[in-house]
Amino acid sequence: MPRYFLAKLSLLLWLTGVIIAGIAMPMVPSPERWFELPIIPALEQKARIIFFHVPMSWTTLVAFIASTVYGIMFLKTKKLDYDLRSVSAAGLGTVFCVLATVTGSIWAKFNWGSFWNWDPRETSIFVLLLIYGAYFALRSAIEVDEKRATLAAVYSIIAGVTAPFFIFVMPRIMTGLHPGAKGDEGGSTPVAQLHMPANMRVVFFASIIGFTLLYFWLFSIRVRLARIESSSEQS
Amino acid sequence: MRVLKTPSRAPRIRVHSWRMVLPRLVSGPSVQYLESAVKSLFVPSYQIFLKDSSSELRTRYALNALFMFVVTALSIILFSLGSESVSSDVLAGMLWVIIFFSSMSGLSRTFVAEEERGTVQTLQLISRPSAVYVGKLTFNFALTLSLNVVIALLYLLLVNGFAVQTPSIFWATLVLGSCAIASSSTIIAAIIAKAHTRGTLYPVLSFPIMLPMLITVIKATQLSMEGAFFSEALEEFQILISYTVVLVAVSAVLFDFVWRD
Amino acid sequence: MDFLAEHQLYIVLTIVLIIWVGLGGYLLRLDGKVTKLEKSVKK
Repeated sequence: MPRYFLAKLSLLLWLTGVIIAGIAMPMVPSPERWFELPIIPALEQKARIIFFHVPMSWTTLVAFIASTVYGIMFLKTKKLDYDLRSVSAAGLGTVFCVLATVTGSIWAKFNWGSFWNWDPRETSIFVLLLIYGAYFALRSAIEVDEKRATLAAVYSIIAGVTAPFFIFVMPRIMTGLHPGAKGDEGGSTPVAQLHMPANMRVVFFASIIGFTLLYFWLFSIRVRLARIESSSEQS
Repeated sequence: MRVLKTPSRAPRIRVHSWRMVLPRLVSGPSVQYLESAVKSLFVPSYQIFLKDSSSELRTRYALNALFMFVVTALSIILFSLGSESVSSDVLAGMLWVIIFFSSMSGLSRTFVAEEERGTVQTLQLISRPSAVYVGKLTFNFALTLSLNVVIALLYLLLVNGFAVQTPSIFWATLVLGSCAIASSSTIIAAIIAKAHTRGTLYPVLSFPIMLPMLITVIKATQLSMEGAFFSEALEEFQILISYTVVLVAVSAVLFDFVWRD
Repeated sequence: MDFLAEHQLYIVLTIVLIIWVGLGGYLLRLDGKVTKLEKSVKK
């Protein structure tokens, strides 16, 4: 029996609720009752993907920041435990990044016509994928534990300095397809000026919270497993 | 009783000349601080810069290989373009592709050559990590700048259809872009010098870091080909300058961790 | 066939829920095994 079993079970139930709400809430032209969502012209049912695509890209951002912060903590304290946490966060970040890219490009195909457009935000998620790939390539090229941890932490800090430029600045100053680009006042994450009706916003934020908590749970499992592995290697 | 005569010391002219240069108005402690900064940071880094450039110029293997790489890349592009005329956007992008890959083959030498020659520990003993970093950074600046000027001149001469209408934007982009490339590639070169698969790892690590800069620089080159005014490209120049400043600042702090064993 | 065409959305929902419940159960089991491992290492 895992610890905090009830909390984890309720998290799973929370996300089940999000899935059901996201997929099954009916879409009608003029919503009147609390569980009816408006139809967005040209998107219709496919708009539901927003409940899953945006929270996943949000989670990969959280994972990225966590990985960089743990890298900084390692450089300050030299404790290898921080390095373990940094790798686990990076691994999870990669998974969520791939999922966000795939869901995003499927949505792009429906919405804008082609799977990939080099829109600034699409480019930024691709760069994030490249950074993760480079991070793991660097780690696999060094054998000494401490050296590997130091260099990986340094690289994640450098990437952490240039990536926000991509993720936050460029999509707003360049014209692009995502909402919130230059010339389009629709608003986008993380600025929460979402022009969504209230009940849609509830499901959306519930999804973000659920995915973030899921990330923390997956992270804790990975870190605990990594600690067991490293302690059994030493003994 | 014989008294041993202490050897008379020759006056230390170097220190005194600095004192003569600085105005009398500057008070004592700050002059000493400046002196110590000059002696422990700028002088060693200048010497490291001189050492690197003289060793590269003496046996020109690396420089020759780099030049041949540029010629090869350019020839491949010219050959595949043939007599077709390509849009100016594509040509601008191609120029920076050549520049990027030439930098990737040339800029890691400063650190990798130290590892290969086994001179890393000597370097660690004789100077501060910051001095090593500034020296290598200066060397990479100089190398990138000269390399990019050569590439740009060749490109202008040989590729037909590449007509620059606002030369000021073009050359300013080249200079700022070279600084930006050098600043990001030096710290990455320091990182991969300690790893195993150095050659292939270098572009893999550098590309995500350089991508924002590459996008900006390609856009500025396109602006220069369209004949835009200098003031229209100021946004791009701001991005390039801030990128360089941020990266140099962060690398200067992080270099200590990378350099120490 | 008509039923399937008409209620496409609910069929998608059912499939997604099946996958999700399976994943959730796997996660809980994994967590339980890690907890057991942790306890045995600590002893």
